[in-house]
Amino acid sequence: MRNHEHHPKRTGFFHGRGSVLAGLLVLTALAFLPGLGLAQDATSAAQSVAYRDIPGLGSRNVVWVIAQLHLLLAGFVLGVPIFAWLCEIVGWKTGDKRYDKLAKEFTKLLTSSYATTALFGGILLFLLIGFYPKLMAYLTDIFFPSFIVYCLLFLLETATLYLYWYGWDAMQDGGMKSLHLFLGFLLNVFAFFIMIVPNSWATFQASPVVISEGTEIQRAWAATWNPTWWPVNIHRLIANVVLGGYICGAYAGIRYLSAKSPEERDHYDWMGYVGNFIGVFGLLPLPFAGYWLMREIYQYNQQMGITLMGGFLSWLFILQAMLIGVLFLGSNYYFWLGITHRIPGAEVKYKRPIMAMLVILLLCLGVWMTPHSLVASLEEARKMGGTHHPLLGVFGVMSAKMTVANLMILVTFMSFIMYWRAGKQETATWAKVAKAIMGGVLGVAAVVVIVLGVWGYFVPAIVRINYFSVAQVLIVLFVMLTITPLTALLLRSAKTTTEMVWGRMPPRSAYALVLNAVMVILLMTLMGYARSSSRVHWHIYGVMRDSSQYAYSPALGYAAAFMSLNTFLFCMLVAFIFWVATMGDKAKAGGTEGKAKVPAGAVPAMAGGSPALDKE
Amino acid sequence: MSEVALLQVIGLCIVGIGVAILLFIQARFVRVVGFVVIVLGIFALVALGVPQMASLPPAEEKFDVASIKTAADMAAIGQKIFFSKGQCALCHSIGPSESARCPDLKGIGAKLTREFIYESLTQPQAYIYLDFRHEGPPKEYPARMPYINKNPIGLTKNEILSVIAFLQQMSGEPITVSPSEIEQAGSPAQPAAQPQKVAALIPAHGR
Repeated sequence: MRNHEHHPKRTGFFHGRGSVLAGLLVLTALAFLPGLGLAQDATSAAQSVAYRDIPGLGSRNVVWVIAQLHLLLAGFVLGVPIFAWLCEIVGWKTGDKRYDKLAKEFTKLLTSSYATTALFGGILLFLLIGFYPKLMAYLTDIFFPSFIVYCLLFLLETATLYLYWYGWDAMQDGGMKSLHLFLGFLLNVFAFFIMIVPNSWATFQASPVVISEGTEIQRAWAATWNPTWWPVNIHRLIANVVLGGYICGAYAGIRYLSAKSPEERDHYDWMGYVGNFIGVFGLLPLPFAGYWLMREIYQYNQQMGITLMGGFLSWLFILQAMLIGVLFLGSNYYFWLGITHRIPGAEVKYKRPIMAMLVILLLCLGVWMTPHSLVASLEEARKMGGTHHPLLGVFGVMSAKMTVANLMILVTFMSFIMYWRAGKQETATWAKVAKAIMGGVLGVAAVVVIVLGVWGYFVPAIVRINYFSVAQVLIVLFVMLTITPLTALLLRSAKTTTEMVWGRMPPRSAYALVLNAVMVILLMTLMGYARSSSRVHWHIYGVMRDSSQYAYSPALGYAAAFMSLNTFLFCMLVAFIFWVATMGDKAKAGGTEGKAKVPAGAVPAMAGGSPALDKE
Repeated sequence: MSEVALLQVIGLCIVGIGVAILLFIQARFVRVVGFVVIVLGIFALVALGVPQMASLPPAEEKFDVASIKTAADMAAIGQKIFFSKGQCALCHSIGPSESARCPDLKGIGAKLTREFIYESLTQPQAYIYLDFRHEGPPKEYPARMPYINKNPIGLTKNEILSVIAFLQQMSGEPITVSPSEIEQAGSPAQPAAQPQKVAALIPAHGR
């Protein structure tokens, strides 16, 4: 069974069409009810029923689809408020109305998705209670106090979102704007807790702790504070930002493709850039959070870790490497397209560095995707001297993979820095020294990461895991935390040589944005399957066994078909929601929404710049 | 046709549909959908190309009273209960472990009497060894021992006796639990009568 967040509280709808959409979905859900066996004789001992099923479809498959859609929607609606609020702060601080408009547009996507998320949560809850009554009774017995907290959080989140969205225009001036920003902050606080409460239910299933005697609250708290709770909280928090960023980027990409006016093209080109930037910003630390989570899983139960990394799920991590690799390539490709199309004359200057980065990324991806054991016939295995290829086998181990993952993060970070600095010329007297320091830090960091990676082959695993891998991560973080502020300081006084031109990106850039979004969604579906399957035949690992006919984990191919189906359904659902949400805009667009009148160079651009600003 | 082959055919068809959309349809949104379909189809085909391994559950263990002939049979069942329903291994290790949240139980059957172990399982707060198998000052452990005979674990008397048999066998001790103590089906499964207070028999290390 897949356990994800359940939303026992259905919330209000923000658009008239939202209720229509909700009604349709409820009707669809109700269509399943006859198959649920709910019409059983009520006198039958309901408490003795452990499982119910839908013949033909399979209860697990239905829950798989609904839970996955709910989780993806939840990830989106919890990730978007973070950067919507940050965009609003930037707009408020700089006076650049574009950021406020962008934040509002993000929030519009949020409000239209919010009701659907809650709706799917409700459907999921009914299905879980219907299909897995025994398990749900057990979890309710332990977690009931947190159910109450969750309901309260939902009420608070809903009320805050109402105020935040509907008060946007009314709270634009003076102290009211501060109040609006505070509402945005509250929205994120509640959203964070809405995420971590259900995380405790899911992580308890994977890493349960023994529940002692005590009050209901004490028992619920003991179960909540389980070994993988915080690693999952942090990992999901970052992943939600990544998901939200890339989905907003894909939305902007599609709007860019269908834009009819230059103003629209400019706006959605810029929005796509911001979405991709947010996605990359979250993507860079995400592998570190994932590594910490995996470490905690090993620490909690070595067998579970082995099942994931060395057992029947080991090939899943090759697929994960492929998806992450494509995501890195897609993100970098979008940056490179930005450099060569938005900044005239940059294509020649940056051709070589881009080629070098592309080669490094591809080589790293090749290493990351190399399996430890090759699929080989008996004869081939004899020729190789075993299942490990004499050369490729070297790249199939964690030491190599950790090294290339860190290198890919470094390359992507440098891609972004290059984009940031493009079209500008430093004027600070200390610019040469700063650039030398940055180059030195980057070069030394790359060398040390590689040296630690190679050295990792010659030390015990525990030394590599506890010291070398951690050191590699800290080195990469140090590079980011050193070069980012230095670059910001340098560019503060830089002279703009080439003004950035928005709206000139080729159509393939929009497809790159869509590809990135699809990759992130697939990654979430893939790793959700990994998390659930790592429990093997347990609902609650080592505590409550799955004794249903679905107490097995399907093979990767079958699971991937479901992942693809879920991803497609989610994309279509989101497209429909966004289409409904933007209907009003199209009706209003009688030429009233012209290009935002922003004084040239009112704020330093992230790349390129404004000669007008330089003159000032 | 095997399931994998069928899924591969479906995957190829989906990729084909996506390609056809990109080749012949001009509507932008539909083209984007076609592109997404191609990406998803390729992903599924790659996943179908790697070794296909399902994880099948092991046979479910039942506490079959009829199968118990010797004390060793009891210990074998006790071992299974220790690592599954009893949830003992969630906190305890057998042998040193960095991640164990509670005392290491290696050799516990040699150090403690069966009565004391029974009391520790059913009245965990009655007497606490703060320095059991632990050198240095007495140590408080982060997890608190639950009542094993109550919900949510709720081991029966038979199951608790089997676990004690396992702990004794694992410590290299003769098993003092006899199969004759197992309650037959039909008799109410309930915890044994309160064992005698054994705390007085053991040197006090901490309470």
